Amino acid sequence: MAKTYDCLFKLLLIGDSGVGKTSILFRFSEDAFNISFISTIGIDFKIRTIDLDGKKVKLQIWDTAGQERFRTITTAYYRGSMGIMLVYDVTNEKSFENIKNWIRNIEENASADVEKMILGNKCDLDDKRQVSKERGEQLAIDYQIKFVETSAKDSLNVEYAFYTLARDIKAKMEKKQEASNPPGARSGAHVLRASDQQRKPPSWLSRCSLL
Amino acid sequence: MSSSSAEDIPEQCKDLFTQDGVLLKSCIGRSINELNSIGMLCIVQNADSTKCVEWRPNDLITIDSDTQDQEWAVVNTIGRRQRTLSGNMTSDYATLRARIIKIPLSELKTFRVSRNNQQMQFSTKPGVWQMSFYFQHGNAEIFVAYLKNHVKTAKARNDKNTYIVVEPNRETQVLNKSFAELDIFTENPTDVVWSLVSNLRQRPYETTMEAFSKLTDIVYYGNEAMNGKRDVSEEVADLLTKSMSAMEDSTAVTRSDEYEVISVKPTLPPRPCIPRYALYYGNEAMNGKRDVSEEVADLLTKSMSAMEDSTAVTRSDEYEVISVKPTLPPRPCIPRGTPLSTEKWDGLQDTDGRVTEVEGVKQLIFRGGVAHSIRPSVWKYLLDYYPWTMTHSEIKNLQRRKTEEYFSMKLQWRSMTEGQESRFSEYRERKSLVEKDVNRTDRTHPFYAGENNPNLIVLQDILMTYVMYNFDLGYVQGMSDILAPLLLLLGNEVDSFWCFAGFMEKIAPNFDMDQAGMKQQLLHLQQLLTFASPELAQHLAQKDSGNMYFCFRWLLVWFKREFSHRDIMRLWEVLWTGLPCANFHLFICVAILDTEKDILIGKDYGFTEVLKHVNDLSMRLDVDKILSTAEGIYHQIVSAPHLTDQIRVILGLPTIGRSHTEDSHSDTEDKEASPKAECSRTNEASRSNATTNGNGTNQRVLFAPEADEYDRFIWPGEHNSNYIKTAKTLYIRIFVRWRHRLVSSPTEASTAKTLTYICPVATPTSFEPNGGFNIGSGTVLVYFGATGSVTLEYNGIQISVVTKTVWALLA
Repeated sequence: MAKTYDCLFKLLLIGDSGVGKTSILFRFSEDAFNISFISTIGIDFKIRTIDLDGKKVKLQIWDTAGQERFRTITTAYYRGSMGIMLVYDVTNEKSFENIKNWIRNIEENASADVEKMILGNKCDLDDKRQVSKERGEQLAIDYQIKFVETSAKDSLNVEYAFYTLARDIKAKMEKKQEASNPPGARSGAHVLRASDQQRKPPSWLSRCSLL
Repeated sequence: MSSSSAEDIPEQCKDLFTQDGVLLKSCIGRSINELNSIGMLCIVQNADSTKCVEWRPNDLITIDSDTQDQEWAVVNTIGRRQRTLSGNMTSDYATLRARIIKIPLSELKTFRVSRNNQQMQFSTKPGVWQMSFYFQHGNAEIFVAYLKNHVKTAKARNDKNTYIVVEPNRETQVLNKSFAELDIFTENPTDVVWSLVSNLRQRPYETTMEAFSKLTDIVYYGNEAMNGKRDVSEEVADLLTKSMSAMEDSTAVTRSDEYEVISVKPTLPPRPCIPRYALYYGNEAMNGKRDVSEEVADLLTKSMSAMEDSTAVTRSDEYEVISVKPTLPPRPCIPRGTPLSTEKWDGLQDTDGRVTEVEGVKQLIFRGGVAHSIRPSVWKYLLDYYPWTMTHSEIKNLQRRKTEEYFSMKLQWRSMTEGQESRFSEYRERKSLVEKDVNRTDRTHPFYAGENNPNLIVLQDILMTYVMYNFDLGYVQGMSDILAPLLLLLGNEVDSFWCFAGFMEKIAPNFDMDQAGMKQQLLHLQQLLTFASPELAQHLAQKDSGNMYFCFRWLLVWFKREFSHRDIMRLWEVLWTGLPCANFHLFICVAILDTEKDILIGKDYGFTEVLKHVNDLSMRLDVDKILSTAEGIYHQIVSAPHLTDQIRVILGLPTIGRSHTEDSHSDTEDKEASPKAECSRTNEASRSNATTNGNGTNQRVLFAPEADEYDRFIWPGEHNSNYIKTAKTLYIRIFVRWRHRLVSSPTEASTAKTLTYICPVATPTSFEPNGGFNIGSGTVLVYFGATGSVTLEYNGIQISVVTKTVWALLA
């Protein structure tokens, strides 16, 4: 069977129980929202292939059970993930405070250079809001992680969030690829010309498709 | 061995493989008095190099060997055997000749292995088994393995014991090539033989020993022997006969008996089913008669030891590995019964309402479940709310007490003030979890559907009261799933609570804070699957799924998410009986996986596909079929002759001190391993590490799992990130069973090897590339899987399965 994508990114959704991880994933993969979701037991994943600067990128997004007790199981799935969405619920102070713990959890269990993004979900429920957008932004600045408030229900910023994360992963890979190139071709007295730029060495895609 | 002149041999055949002690059970067109006679089942190559399966009655074989002065004729090796059919033939002989049964491989259509692998049936036309044979010694496995080298087979769709011959195989060339690629046995066979001959005259005894050690090589690395027209072992064996004749004075018969022992002469790598000592000592050792052959065998064993650099423990491990895996008895098909009816249930209670014959009731429920109308009543007993022995009036009292108790606990949280709550974070956390989950439990079922559904409040109240009843456990995700069907059926808040509490009692380990109970069950499941369906277990291990995490949901909520409410009620009530063993739910898992086996293996599903496939089975499973299969598997396992202690523990049987080294996990709790530098095996490990390293540096053991946890190789990063930061080396000893994928069937070629592989500790998340080691002229690459599995690759082909690991982190 021919491959229908150029590249596969493994992403992960983590955050406290009930913050809306499954809803975000459902919105992104099916573009739908269901009020009567069931809690996630164990682990599951969904797939969506997106177009990123002309490349078909297959996103394999893993959805985990949020409760702390299941962490020994769920962290087994952190391995190999290239991007992680840290989700909290803007109507739940505790879930916001726990983002710090989740970040520590990532440091312990995921690859050091994994791309991260913080999502403050349920921003449609403004009357129940406990965490202001500013606090979310500040937390993101503290950890130097991108941040966006989302609403899976109103389909707000969900697409944006996944595209941003995917683009960041892609950029990082390209950067790595460039760094690993022998510098001779474009260093020294030789001035980089526009034509050189197009002559890219073996694309980063050849590397990531190994995944 | 010089080949005899051809003129007196009208028919010259070569036995490629022979199996002694095979009883002719039935054969179309043969008289009844020919049946039940013992003989030899062979794969024979005819003069025109066509092949056939041939059965020869034993008395013929004797005559045969008498007519020759070939001692080896008696030995069921591959030795070339010429049949003399000259004029002085007795009529008896002719009669016996007529009794030979031949099945040309070109005509063979199907064959079937059954009765605990001891029976083989053959057919040359569809629908009829023309003949069947019974294997008295051991089983048909080796024969089948050999046969499969000569014919290409496929397993029948409807019967996994039936092999359909696709086409005769011309694999010999392929085989030779693949073994040559491994390049382990490099010596020139002719040289071996000639040096042996010349040495034999000067140093008969030593030379014999040498020859034996060569032979050992061949036995051990069996596969390599296949690179000549005539193999080395055959030549060596031949010479050995002569040397032995010179050394001792025994009769040909005795000698050949002795040699029978070494007749494990693998043209193709077999899996010797003979136990180790029988293999080398044969019958003599059993009789206590010490003779030359025994001494030789002794030395042979020692030479084997010298061949390897491993410890005694390791060696025996390896032999375990190459021993044939015993097969399970056939799986009985047990039909499900009818549900326990109202009439029966009423009849099972005495006039006061006591349930008599509790075991009988449980048996009935196990067989067929409970009729829906009496579930509310029966479940209370099954979930230990009502004791079976209580009378109607006693139950009334009990209900009263339990109702009071429930409401007093409910009052405890209901009367909590806002201020109290604000200073009681642990309570708040539990409450918030309950609220979140109640709102997403079975909301598609009419009973819980819609906004402001009052049943949701009852659900929440019960769960909150349970938090007060068992505050330490609190609320864990999955509990609402457990409660929902109970409340749906019973309707009553108090009854539902106590039944829920009873159910929770049964599955409490599922919700352990450290998930030890779940891990233990997943491990047990893996062990059970390995026993019941090794092929699948192996596949999963190769796909990094050996930890069985993809079954987590099944186990946590006892398949609640996999079945409809109706079906889950049936499944649960069967499981609540605790029959036929407390871990029957693990058999349900094995049954489902076994049903999906062909897909999982056939489509070569990997880590993600396995998980997806298993998750997607939800609501597509047939509960009765699964229960029936699970029970069949249970009976298969429980009556298996090779039942190990490990499996016995899972079955709840007393242990008998038999453990399979290959999978000798302890059955203790899956506790967090503590660093134990004193661990003797680890010390030994670090010593040998220093030697193997050749750098002589003293490496300190930073971390090693408990001795009995060795097998469970968990990548150190997973739990012990602290150690990994200071560790420089991961010492890992891997026990491998080679599987020559290059050969048509992976099971037919296996031999054992121990590898000590030391690799630098990578960052906890990096698992590739993991380096390798040399074997022959090539390099074997080692890949560590994300979950601790290890696979090896030779020239891009996966060649092995790791059966055991010993590891430690060194500074």
